[in-house]
Amino acid sequence: MATEAYEKLEEEQLTNKVPLKIKMRPFIILGPAFLLTVGILIPFAMAIYFSVTNYSFKYPDYVFVGLENWISMFTSADFWQSVGVTLTYAGVATLIETLLGIGIAILLNRENFLSRSLRIVLIFPLVIAPVIATIIWQLMTNNSVGIYSDWLRQLGITNFNWGADPSTALFTVLIIDAWVFTPFVTILVLAGLRSLPKAPFESAMIDGGSAWFTFKNLTLPMIMPMLIIAILFRLMLSLQMFDIIFALTRGGPGDTLMTLPLTAYTEAFTYKELGVSLPFMLILWVFVYFLSHFIVKYWTYTQNKASGK
Amino acid sequence: MKKKMIAILQNIALLLYAFYAIFPLVWLLILSFKHDSDMFNTTFIFTPTLENYRALFSDGEYIGYFLDNIIVSFGAIALSIVVGVPAAYALARFDFKGRDGIAFTFLSFRFAPEILVVLPLFLLYQELGLYDTYVGLIWVFQVLSLPLLIWILRGYFEDIPVEVENAARLDGYSWWQVFIKIVMPLIRPGLVASALLSLIFVWNNFTFSLLLAGQDVTTTTVAMLQYVASDTVHYGQMAGAVLIASLPIIILALSIQKHLVRGLSMGSVKG
Amino acid sequence: MKKIISGFISVLAFMLLFACSNESATENGNDNDGSSNTIDLEQFDEFDWKRFDGEEIEIMLNQHPYAEAIIERIPEFEEKTGITVNHSLTPEENYFDKLTTSLNAQNGNPDVFMTGAYQVWEYATADYMQELDVFVEDENRTSPDYDVDDFYEGILDAGRWDGVPGHTVGEGNLYTVPLAYEFNLLHYNKRALESIGLEEPPETMEELIEVGAQLDGWNGEGSYGVGTRGTRSWATIHPGYMTSFDNHGAVDFTVEDGSLVSHLNSTEAIEITEKFAELVNEAGPSDWSSYTWYQVSNDLAQGKAAFTYDASNWAIFHNVPGEAPEAGNIGVTTPPRTKDDDLGTNMWVWSIAMNKSSEKKDAAWLFMQYFTGKEHMQWGAIEANVVDPVRESVFESDEYQERIGDIEGYVETFNELIDGSTIKFTPQPEFFNTTTEWAAALQDIVNGADAEERMNELNKDIQERVSRVRAE
Repeated sequence: MATEAYEKLEEEQLTNKVPLKIKMRPFIILGPAFLLTVGILIPFAMAIYFSVTNYSFKYPDYVFVGLENWISMFTSADFWQSVGVTLTYAGVATLIETLLGIGIAILLNRENFLSRSLRIVLIFPLVIAPVIATIIWQLMTNNSVGIYSDWLRQLGITNFNWGADPSTALFTVLIIDAWVFTPFVTILVLAGLRSLPKAPFESAMIDGGSAWFTFKNLTLPMIMPMLIIAILFRLMLSLQMFDIIFALTRGGPGDTLMTLPLTAYTEAFTYKELGVSLPFMLILWVFVYFLSHFIVKYWTYTQNKASGK
Repeated sequence: MKKKMIAILQNIALLLYAFYAIFPLVWLLILSFKHDSDMFNTTFIFTPTLENYRALFSDGEYIGYFLDNIIVSFGAIALSIVVGVPAAYALARFDFKGRDGIAFTFLSFRFAPEILVVLPLFLLYQELGLYDTYVGLIWVFQVLSLPLLIWILRGYFEDIPVEVENAARLDGYSWWQVFIKIVMPLIRPGLVASALLSLIFVWNNFTFSLLLAGQDVTTTTVAMLQYVASDTVHYGQMAGAVLIASLPIIILALSIQKHLVRGLSMGSVKG
Repeated sequence: MKKIISGFISVLAFMLLFACSNESATENGNDNDGSSNTIDLEQFDEFDWKRFDGEEIEIMLNQHPYAEAIIERIPEFEEKTGITVNHSLTPEENYFDKLTTSLNAQNGNPDVFMTGAYQVWEYATADYMQELDVFVEDENRTSPDYDVDDFYEGILDAGRWDGVPGHTVGEGNLYTVPLAYEFNLLHYNKRALESIGLEEPPETMEELIEVGAQLDGWNGEGSYGVGTRGTRSWATIHPGYMTSFDNHGAVDFTVEDGSLVSHLNSTEAIEITEKFAELVNEAGPSDWSSYTWYQVSNDLAQGKAAFTYDASNWAIFHNVPGEAPEAGNIGVTTPPRTKDDDLGTNMWVWSIAMNKSSEKKDAAWLFMQYFTGKEHMQWGAIEANVVDPVRESVFESDEYQERIGDIEGYVETFNELIDGSTIKFTPQPEFFNTTTEWAAALQDIVNGADAEERMNELNKDIQERVSRVRAE
């Protein structure tokens, strides 16, 4: 009797030969979440539509202009420069934060007083809003009142101008980005490390494998799923990073830090040309959409691999 | 001997990073106790004052911003939990057509560029009367928090063997009872950890709070900028405001410290 | 892969569907606004502060001492009129972005907003600003003691424009009423001059560069010669730089055959840009390109900058003993000369304006009157920092003369500059667009780019950008 009922339940869940009411269940459960987020599709649709108009905050009316905005974007040198800056920024920021994040997570995963006490403290920068973090760093690196500038001067370095110099501006925003977001990678990798099974590591120790060998062949594959989630979030969000660059240099000096989000913001708000601005963001969104799709696919693959499937 | 050397080097590396991560916060703490007149030198020696904190709390404005932030952030997280937990369950448990596509669609919303969304959303909010309201901000904030929540919890639900549920149902519990009484307690660590991470994203949001609100509803991130923009720059007040604004999250993080790392780890390497 | 692309396309299709349904909605909205173009005002029999008792208006303010003075006195206004005032205050970095989006929504919020004179060229073109002549001229709407003739004519005229790109301000309808204005001139710290044995501040640009360079480190680590704004923003162009640009005989645009022609690569323009870059490099702070109004102002007050070439009212702001460390040490003189002609300065006017889509225009006008009226202006110039005053009666009052009397050089400089000071930009709606690109070019030149090459490039770019200006 019991087995029969159990089989019936299993059938309900695993086969398609079920009443419509039950078949629809997942969709009903997903419904509220989907409805809430779908609202965000409406702005997307509006954005696509406005990108083929000359919508501007400076004029009361607007008309359909076809692909004019798109063509002028693809043919402008500014656009390609923006793409370069955006990719460099996102790539380098993600790389630094990933490497640093893994390193710090490994160090924090040791059982000693220092690691234990720092484990939670090192997450603190993550709770500071990026735009505020930038103001703090700006204050500390300001040439006339900044403490870091002061220390550099005492070390005899007088010509390091942080965000104000085109050759160090990127470095400065990266330092701030890494300051805020490395903890995000650290915490996810640390979570991955804490969940590792003990047995394989013990046998590796007995076999006398080097630390690097153990890390490369055991640890890394096993924390890979967590690591990829961290990389996914960092890469996608740094591709659209706006707060830090805007608060520090507004895209300057010159055009040094004019990433796609900065260019789009300047066109839309400072120049008030919404129609001109939207293609810059839409192209970024398409890129982000496909890139995240591939990363998620790779994630599924590593996850299966990590669990031995 | 070599082992000890390595341990020392490791500790030095960790301390160096700790300095990079923590010193700005220490400096912030120092600034918050400095007089405006001491603000523009880099010395550590000064007469501490509570003036900045007094100024923050004297007119009640900052408390208002703070409460606004609590309402919209916690509102968004609560909403995310209410709709996100069932969604994550459905994505993990039911095998239906387009499952992975739907799961990915949720995630892709998180990666929608804010600058792209915010302008049309502004026009839409004006139309719907959601501009500068709690509901409006909660709605847009849950878009930031829901995807992360769903993705982490999905891993958790997949870890729970379906037999556990089925056994309970054979004992006569209804499907909903099983969900509430058996499944929910099992995913709690993951829920706590992912809710906290989402909360951080939402709590600090700048673009949406700046452009979709600002009069009736003002979040602390936007409000804090006011202290550095005036004929006299009040860095001390800003520092105090920043510290107070990050306090709730720091307290939450400390109090669920154990759950945080464990909560994130369980769902990750699933079968 | 195929699946995800088809998924992507179906999402797009779905969204376009939304877009189309949305299109009709937006167009309808615009039609409605178009028909309400002429203002239909109710007739009143006499002026009455209490007429709109019980109404509620929304105000948007930029974070500034002028705004703080308004906020401080809102309770008095509310008591006098019975109108409830809700205000928002936004730092300047984001203020105009937020204001523009609000005005674009055309739903009557805010009713009144703070604005500069340059913004009129955009907002009037976009039909966001209410023409004010009907209000000012109606004696049943405007209090008998408002006395519009008391405003300095040149300053009131900064808010008057006929809407034609390239036409100067002063003609056409009134769009804003002024709160206060700034000239752009040279401030100096007396202690700094004394430290190198100078009795008089430098007069020419050459001297300023030399003296400024000499004063590097004059007041300890991090102090420097000359402070100017340097961010990648329109705000970098309009103070000292534009003042010198004009004094050197350069012009930004001329109108030829009804369209704007850019002259940013003229010999004068290149010369003065090179000179300005030299000033920054020789005498400015090393992180110049991060300097905003707030920072330059602060460095003057804190004794970090020996000179600033920027807004005239700082000498007053920072002369309050106990608030700024350098109070009492700050003097004022004319902008540095590059030619022998008469000197003028580019002027900046903070004003308030009315949203064209406001549904409470009369209540809004009461607010505007009150906060630009004699009483508030007088109070603001003496008790707060609403300076330089836009009303003659305030400027000439004994209290105000006393306030500026002990600032070295203030009155003389003011009298010398008043005739030559106006808005030196050619009005056109792409103002923020062109000046932001201009600032980026200036940053490049300061960082070593060849001035002639970069200005040629800029000129070409700007010529393209002003061609966006749509004819009526």
